[in-house]
Amino acid sequence: MNGQSSVRLIGVEKRFGDLTAVRSIDLDIAAGEFFSVIGPSGCGKTTTLRMIAGFERPTQGTIEIGGREVSGLPPYRRPVNTVFQSYALFPHLDVFENVAFGLREARVPRAELRRRVAGAISLAQLEGREQAKPNQLSGGQQQRVALARALVNRPEVLLLDEPLGSLDLKLRKEMQAQLKDMQREVGITFVYVTHDQEEAFSMSDRVAVMNHGQLEQVGRPEEVYRQPRTPFVASFVGLANRLTGRIAGPAPGERYEVDLGHLGRRLAHGPPGLAAGAPVLAVVRPEDLHLTPAADLQPGQAAATVVDVAFLGAHRTVRLDAGALGQLVAIGQGQSTVAPDDKVAVSWADDDAWVVPAAGEQ
Amino acid sequence: MRLRAHPVAGVLALAAVGFLWIPILAVAVNSVNQNSLMISWGGATAHWYARALHDPNVRTGLTTTIEIALGSTAVSLVIAVSGALWWRGASARARAVYDATVYARIILPEVVFATALFFLFLKTHFPLGIAAIIIGHSVWNSAYAAVIIQARLVSLDPAMEEAAADLGATPWRAFRRVTFAALLPGIIAGGLLTFTFSFDDVVTSYFLGGSAASPLPLVLFGMIRFRITPEINAIGVMVMLFTVTLMGVAVAAFALMGSAGRGRRGALAEFYGQ
Repeated sequence: MNGQSSVRLIGVEKRFGDLTAVRSIDLDIAAGEFFSVIGPSGCGKTTTLRMIAGFERPTQGTIEIGGREVSGLPPYRRPVNTVFQSYALFPHLDVFENVAFGLREARVPRAELRRRVAGAISLAQLEGREQAKPNQLSGGQQQRVALARALVNRPEVLLLDEPLGSLDLKLRKEMQAQLKDMQREVGITFVYVTHDQEEAFSMSDRVAVMNHGQLEQVGRPEEVYRQPRTPFVASFVGLANRLTGRIAGPAPGERYEVDLGHLGRRLAHGPPGLAAGAPVLAVVRPEDLHLTPAADLQPGQAAATVVDVAFLGAHRTVRLDAGALGQLVAIGQGQSTVAPDDKVAVSWADDDAWVVPAAGEQ
Repeated sequence: MRLRAHPVAGVLALAAVGFLWIPILAVAVNSVNQNSLMISWGGATAHWYARALHDPNVRTGLTTTIEIALGSTAVSLVIAVSGALWWRGASARARAVYDATVYARIILPEVVFATALFFLFLKTHFPLGIAAIIIGHSVWNSAYAAVIIQARLVSLDPAMEEAAADLGATPWRAFRRVTFAALLPGIIAGGLLTFTFSFDDVVTSYFLGGSAASPLPLVLFGMIRFRITPEINAIGVMVMLFTVTLMGVAVAAFALMGSAGRGRRGALAEFYGQ
């Protein structure tokens, strides 16, 4: 990341008739960044990508690429290329001609065209398949042709719309690693749209979480995971235990004192500016919950009954019924001693709790 | 499976094949028979072929036929391709209506269309002749072409033009390099098929030709009414070879589509169903 802006969206909005797909988005993506947009289906992430590509015109706002305004430009005049979810390979052209398509449109001289296509084909590990038609390739190979076809044009920005969506899990994991390596190698800005939060986290420098056409939060994966700004982000990004409460007042160390009902007052981190009395959700991640025998229950800890223990290889997931607090989930290696119907005390460290304002809850 | 292996099934199949092919074989044999009455084998000759090729009626008939076939193919392809492009963006209901009009033109008896058009042309004082026959042939030919081209269309990803635009192609370039190019095997196959159908049509041509136009099948028809000569057989063999060659090229072109997938099977069924 060199800090220079690559893609900038200013007050971008998109309406389809009565439906507002994207509402007033501001976004600044740095050059060379691997940037992901995540959110549930219908949240506006694909529409946002299509506006950057030029397939949709924003109803309002401006889009800049490399510091140049492109809002009014058609797709074929924009310095971006797209990897489509369906790949959209040309069925009548072989791999070589698919990859060469953009260079032929740009009237690149023949020798250079050959060299660049060969380079892209080797980057995508498709040597020897140049003469194959798309329907003769496996899903993974088609995906790599789509990638090579876009990258060979050396776009300022590469847009990827759920490019791994139709691959099976194992292949998807492999391609995630390859994509990340490729991005490092070519140094092009990647804007990656997916509904898969884990996928986005494993590759991205920064992620944007979208819901109902709005940006809920933009930040580094750890930031979004550890310090969610809204209840939606807290629950969309990984598993979260949510405890309702109210801000009792500020506490030392940029923390808050939070009134958690019958659990009493606990300390928690949170975004600045929360006033006393504000309704909040205290978010504690499953891996931060500790289980001890119920006999050791201390003030500020929750009494709970084990509902279910699931063995997942590296760790176990324990589902708990904590009465008025609702269902809780704990993940870890230390939970191996509990069994269903055990009474346990649930505790967590003050530093592992994070509050989000509850008002915006959907 | 057991039924298939039964010896009677084999005998029946052979009989059926013989029933279909022996007349055609007889035509082929008699086309080179020196015995002009075709009662017995009188030795081989190419005389009838030479005579057929020099018969002025046959020659004008052939020219007329080719003019009609080319005209009808051109009209049918324009209708089918523009219809297919419209079809891609149409709503499900509009598509169903369009499909129904296409299949109606294939299913409804040709003689009904021919009669209807005959009366229409009579009422509107549209002259019977080559133009009238071209219009008549295009009624069903455009439907066959539409089925074949649409089979190819189904395999086209709607994002394809967007991909082309994304890679720097203007709308016209995207159409030429992607949409049209991807449809081309279907257009070629559809064109050859419609040409063939038009080439050997009798019914529509008979109704709409009037006295002005006599395509080859009608010339043959007229000749049979006077006398049956080996010359007719020679013409038959030539027409057959020509038609079979065209169909072969059409099927090959269609098979080359490869990625047409399920649609291809459906359209091939149309081919054989004809």
